[in-house]
Amino acid sequence: MHEVTIGIGGAAGDGLDKSGDTLAKTAGRLGLHVYAYNSYQSIIRGGHIWLRVRLGENKVQSHGDNLTCLVALNQDTIERHAKEVDAGGAIVFNADRLKVDAKLHGVKKDVQILGLPMSQVTADVVKEFGPIQPVMQNTVAMGAIIYLTQLDFAEAAGVLTDTFQHKGQKVIDLNVGLLKAGYEYAKSQTKEVTGSWTFSRQRRPFITGNEAIAIGAAAAGCKFYSAYPMTPASTILHWMAAHAEQVGICVKQCEDELSVINMAIGAGISGNRSMCGTAGGGFALMTEALGMAGIMEVPVVCVEVQRGGPSTGLPTKSEQGDLFQVYGASQGEFPRMIVAPYDVVDCYWSTVEAFNVADKWQMPVIIMSDLLLSEHPETIDADSIKSDVKIDRGVLVDKWNPEDGKYKRFEFTESGISPRAIPGTPNTCYVSGSDDHDEEGILISDMFTSQPMRRKIMEKRMKKFEGLLAELPAPKLEGPADADVTLVGWGSTYGVINEACQLLQEQGVKANHLHVKYILPFHAKEISAILSKSKKKISVEVNYTSQFARYLRSETGIGMDAHINRYDGELFEPKQLAEEIKLALAGKKVSLDVSEDDAREMACHYLRTHGGEKFRPGKITRQDKSSAKEPVWSIEIVDRLSEEKVAEMVIGVQTGHTFSYKSLVPAVS
Amino acid sequence: MVESTLKQDAKAPNTNRIGLTLGDYKGSPSTLCDGCGHDAITSQIIKACYELAVEPHKVAKLSGIGCSSKTPAYFLSRAHGFNAVHGRMPSIATGVSMANKDLTLLAVSGDGDTASIGLGQFCHLVRRNVPMIYVIENNGVYGLTKGQFSATADIGSKLKTGVSNELPPIDICSLAVEMGCGFVGRSFAGDPKQLVALLKAAMSHKGTAILDVVSPCVTFNNHEGSTKSYKYAKEHEMPIHEIGYIPFYEQIAVDYEPGSAVEVKMHDGSHIVLRKAAKDYDPRNKLAAIDTIHKAIAEHQFLTGLLYIDEKKPDFTTIMQLDDQPLASLGQDKLRPGKDALSAIMAELK
Repeated sequence: MHEVTIGIGGAAGDGLDKSGDTLAKTAGRLGLHVYAYNSYQSIIRGGHIWLRVRLGENKVQSHGDNLTCLVALNQDTIERHAKEVDAGGAIVFNADRLKVDAKLHGVKKDVQILGLPMSQVTADVVKEFGPIQPVMQNTVAMGAIIYLTQLDFAEAAGVLTDTFQHKGQKVIDLNVGLLKAGYEYAKSQTKEVTGSWTFSRQRRPFITGNEAIAIGAAAAGCKFYSAYPMTPASTILHWMAAHAEQVGICVKQCEDELSVINMAIGAGISGNRSMCGTAGGGFALMTEALGMAGIMEVPVVCVEVQRGGPSTGLPTKSEQGDLFQVYGASQGEFPRMIVAPYDVVDCYWSTVEAFNVADKWQMPVIIMSDLLLSEHPETIDADSIKSDVKIDRGVLVDKWNPEDGKYKRFEFTESGISPRAIPGTPNTCYVSGSDDHDEEGILISDMFTSQPMRRKIMEKRMKKFEGLLAELPAPKLEGPADADVTLVGWGSTYGVINEACQLLQEQGVKANHLHVKYILPFHAKEISAILSKSKKKISVEVNYTSQFARYLRSETGIGMDAHINRYDGELFEPKQLAEEIKLALAGKKVSLDVSEDDAREMACHYLRTHGGEKFRPGKITRQDKSSAKEPVWSIEIVDRLSEEKVAEMVIGVQTGHTFSYKSLVPAVS
Repeated sequence: MVESTLKQDAKAPNTNRIGLTLGDYKGSPSTLCDGCGHDAITSQIIKACYELAVEPHKVAKLSGIGCSSKTPAYFLSRAHGFNAVHGRMPSIATGVSMANKDLTLLAVSGDGDTASIGLGQFCHLVRRNVPMIYVIENNGVYGLTKGQFSATADIGSKLKTGVSNELPPIDICSLAVEMGCGFVGRSFAGDPKQLVALLKAAMSHKGTAILDVVSPCVTFNNHEGSTKSYKYAKEHEMPIHEIGYIPFYEQIAVDYEPGSAVEVKMHDGSHIVLRKAAKDYDPRNKLAAIDTIHKAIAEHQFLTGLLYIDEKKPDFTTIMQLDDQPLASLGQDKLRPGKDALSAIMAELK
């Protein structure tokens, strides 16, 4: 497949997200497919930001694991990523400030090193518009990338024109001028890194999972959204606040997640389609009220976007570690729906469905996403999202004649669904209590506990599970039925597992893929039928304990032959995943030892956190015999400028323990 | 249905403006202890709603958890009820208010529900000025869990077992004034005349109306040494004025000496007339209100009345620029933003 991946690295505040946007939008307008992932840190300024943008003529389903071009906005990026650029690729940077040393930075053969002498390249633009701000140098680099990757200059200039429309023609001309300068310089100094593309020029929207959820909610008629800021759910709140007037949604930022979900429940019980959103930590505060929505049978939608845990954990990293939390949230038993969308378009449709299920079945619905799905943008087909969605508000009572007897809010019915009257409807008054109650809503354990009443109200609520399950489409196996291995996943890993299956196919390993979207209620029968025919079964999850595989086993009795897990904050990549699958099929386990690359990264972490930015790790040697109880990595620390050896560091191969950091030079005061 | 109950029969019970009897505003029999202050408050809520001819189905009764929070079952059985979890009633109420601004929100909470587990929610509710009547039935103890001290118990107050409270109380009224509340009153379950007037006035207020009502717990906090007992409250109560309430549909009959009373025009056109008692007190002065409350605490006085009022503060539905039509009543045609709005949004992403 014709594709390229561009990595852009720098510090927070370097403005690289804007550069990535320009690139992605240009490609999207040309009709290419784009998938981007921004690996960022919990910091406002500084740190390491690493944005990967993958472009392809066909659909790209992950950020991939190749690097065609690197745009380095700081020296740190060169040190970390220059070695990752594939042969035939290019490294672009500001040569006035930064330096690439092919040997030192491990640059592969046949990689073009394009240092942009920024002051020279921008001289004409500066002459016309005056001195430029440092962040504008990114636009020059983007110009070079447009040339190297053979995208269309005019289309890129068009994107910049739209981006800066509100700032006036002069700013547009300045930016297009810088883009042109970079483009022309690259053209004169390098050769392109890829062949020419076939552009369909059918514009594709470039959208994140959170945007898709927010737009889906608007389309479904959501009228109330509440949230407390928390990464990675905040961008739903941002979208809602920015579009509140346009789409008519009452948006409330609350003091904590207790209020967030209680307000949403209050709005839901009063007849609004209402939604709230948070990450795992905020959801922990919502558990109490979730059970209340369960016992009061309130339609409410809650978005739980997972990030690395436990506790504050890894605030800006993706993980699938909250399944058991969401599954078990709140005391007691009550029906809830848990749906885990598998891609951006599915985020839209799952949200629309969530509102219909919540209303029809009168229960809380939790949409489980994760940082990757919620924050990464990708291009989608323009017609994959349709605004005229079906709205099902369920059985509502808008009039009640008292001669027909008393209205019973929790009427016992065959389906378990009781016709719902919105508060304010005459003659339908009832109390929504957090205590358990009878058909009329009267408490059943105030003076005496009525056992048969409790049994019947429990059965009424719980049987809604069965009816809902029958309505939901069961998961289907993707790929060849006679495969050697079935990969089992849920949520955001759908794309990368698909790509790994394709890679395995090319390498002679037949693999198919079972991806489960509905966690609760669960298609145990259908899933058992599929998996009982599989030769080998491997779960793929971004967590430590294979929560979904454990849950699947508890529901079906079927265990996996192997588990593949990642819990280091980064994501599965197709090649690496395919390798791990082959290893698992061979009955081998992935080594958990600290590799040489890991040791280098750990040394960098030590230097950064102990004020040693002037130094970098140099030569690394493994010592199997040492005074430690395990083999160790011995790491030379050298001064970046003088190249002089300044310290020695010892890290355990098995435990990762820092045994020692011995300075060889006197401490600088 | 409402009109049809209005009969001219001489034997018919008395009815209010909309033809309902006092009995129409009652609820199920109380399951609280005989003599509980909460039941006295319930009676005054029933009386106030009857006399003001509130339409029961347009009322949302809200409560949290505790003895106080059970009481909405004992009044207005024709109104909708929300019995939330402990301390979370304020945010449920906010959601209800946003979804249907036409409902009258009448909330009953307790000192544990409001001043302990729900203190944060209480502060933010007041700060937002959600339009509602918020009654705190304040007895200084957790009755339902057998009488532990709550956060409003006075320092030095003693439990039946002789255990003394060593922490200072949270004063709900001064906190409410500080948080920007536009209607703050304090009363006593044993003073029905003042309480019913305050409840009526609260119903005319557009914004959060806080009524902190000392309501003795006859089982756990009504003994010698308690500062929330009937005896203590009766002996120490000091009304700062006599409250008169004239609903918008009645003429004001001026029968007080100029300068001897403060008259406040409420948002719905009703009036309250505060006849000065011992103190020269203007409840429209925020700093004076805080000063007076603090002095009363220092001097162990139990000050009651309308402590603070500000009729100009915009309420939350106004701040949120809610449409005149309650959101909950929007038909499907209005529920969705429409194809054009969504197309415009998708175009921004290309």
